[in-house]
Amino acid sequence: MQTPHILRDFDQAISTLRAEVISMAAKSRHNLERAIRALLERNPELANAVIADDDEVDDLERRIDHLGMEILVRFHPVATDLRLVVSSMKISMNLERISDHATNIAKRAKKISANPELQDVTLIEPLYALADHLLLDAISAYSDRNATLGASLHARDKELDRMHHEANATFGKRIEQGAGRSEDYLHLILIVRSLERVGDLATNIGEDAVFLDAAKDLRHESNREL
Amino acid sequence: MSLSSSNTIASDASDFIRVDDFSFYYGAKQAIFNVDMAIPANQVTALIGPSGCGKSTLLRNLNRMNDLVEGVHHEGDIRIGGTSLYDPSVEVISLRKRVGMVFQKYNPFAKSIYENVIFSLRVAGRSKKSELDETVERSLRASALWDEVKDRLHDSAFGLSGGQQQRLCIARAIANQPEILLMDEPCAALDPVATLRIEELILKLKEQFTIVIVTHNMEQATRCSDRTAFLYMGKLVEYDRTMQIFENPSKPETEAYISGRFS
Repeated sequence: MQTPHILRDFDQAISTLRAEVISMAAKSRHNLERAIRALLERNPELANAVIADDDEVDDLERRIDHLGMEILVRFHPVATDLRLVVSSMKISMNLERISDHATNIAKRAKKISANPELQDVTLIEPLYALADHLLLDAISAYSDRNATLGASLHARDKELDRMHHEANATFGKRIEQGAGRSEDYLHLILIVRSLERVGDLATNIGEDAVFLDAAKDLRHESNREL
Repeated sequence: MSLSSSNTIASDASDFIRVDDFSFYYGAKQAIFNVDMAIPANQVTALIGPSGCGKSTLLRNLNRMNDLVEGVHHEGDIRIGGTSLYDPSVEVISLRKRVGMVFQKYNPFAKSIYENVIFSLRVAGRSKKSELDETVERSLRASALWDEVKDRLHDSAFGLSGGQQQRLCIARAIANQPEILLMDEPCAALDPVATLRIEELILKLKEQFTIVIVTHNMEQATRCSDRTAFLYMGKLVEYDRTMQIFENPSKPETEAYISGRFS
């Protein structure tokens, strides 16, 4: 436990900021999970709920930015406190984009569900499972200040990229074969692309967690040692 | 708290001022404990730490101002450009010509602006008008005051604003063309705008002088210093590049102090 700040308001503001980021992460992750469920279970109402709830995530992004700015202006944080504010603001931006991807998936799920059942939809599941795992670890790396976990995401995201290429090839082949469901397969291609992007965004969050915990900037580095 | 000599960081400029295993005592009371520091030329080095941590004592040792206090003694050494300040051949008067000083409370003399700037030249018996005029203009330009006072050089210094009086004191301190400028909380008595003017001036002056500044203002240290030393209870806890100190200090005590978590 860190020594309390001399200004109690400051500790309060910092813990509120952290709590809001974690709450936003939970909502974004929940949206993604429901979007995938809407697709697999052919549930347009659930998809509608995801689309509607994206507003909450947008609100949280604005709130986190506002809180972060307020902390910078009022308290001039340095060292760990400064890195917490900067990484929180950057992470909220990545989380907002993840929720946007969940919304895109939900919209496509509605369109696919309007047509007869498509067996190949289940091919999405392992991609989602890995993307969600990466996202969960990215959030844990931030909340537990675990640079090692945060730095591990970049390499693990490569597996998601590989699965993305594989799924793309499969769906592309189905379109070429003229199975008559080209539009749905096109939606699936864009859904796996969204999941692949979630992996990239989780990697970004992992890098922000590394910055928070270890004050290292791993972005665009070939040497990713801590 | 481990305070080994590893606090001395490798310098990328010359180690112009070297503080070597330096300890300082007011009578029986030890105020500085075995400080090692290499201060490079033409950079701004900030000394930070809570009141009573020894930062002003350390600063005042750099031009032997503390010699004026009764019952003091020191151990270790301080060298400027390789020469020990305590070398018997060093005269304190000539040392202070090499090391100018600016204090917290601006303290112009009850004289004109002109006479304030050339005070030390007058004391040294210099009277050639062209030399004095040249010194006044050069010093006031360097302290960013010339344009504001060039038409009233013979008015009283007390007619200037606080910020201008402090810049006049800086002009006075650099009139002798010292190599080093020591500043003990030079903005403590100034408003935010006057403070920023002095900070801007500090960044300009470092091209000509090596500057060591004591400050209680963390933002000031981040804005205008290249290196920061954190002192606590007379010991040098951490000394590093300023951005390193304020982004990711290596000692928990430093982080606690600069983040306001100091108990």
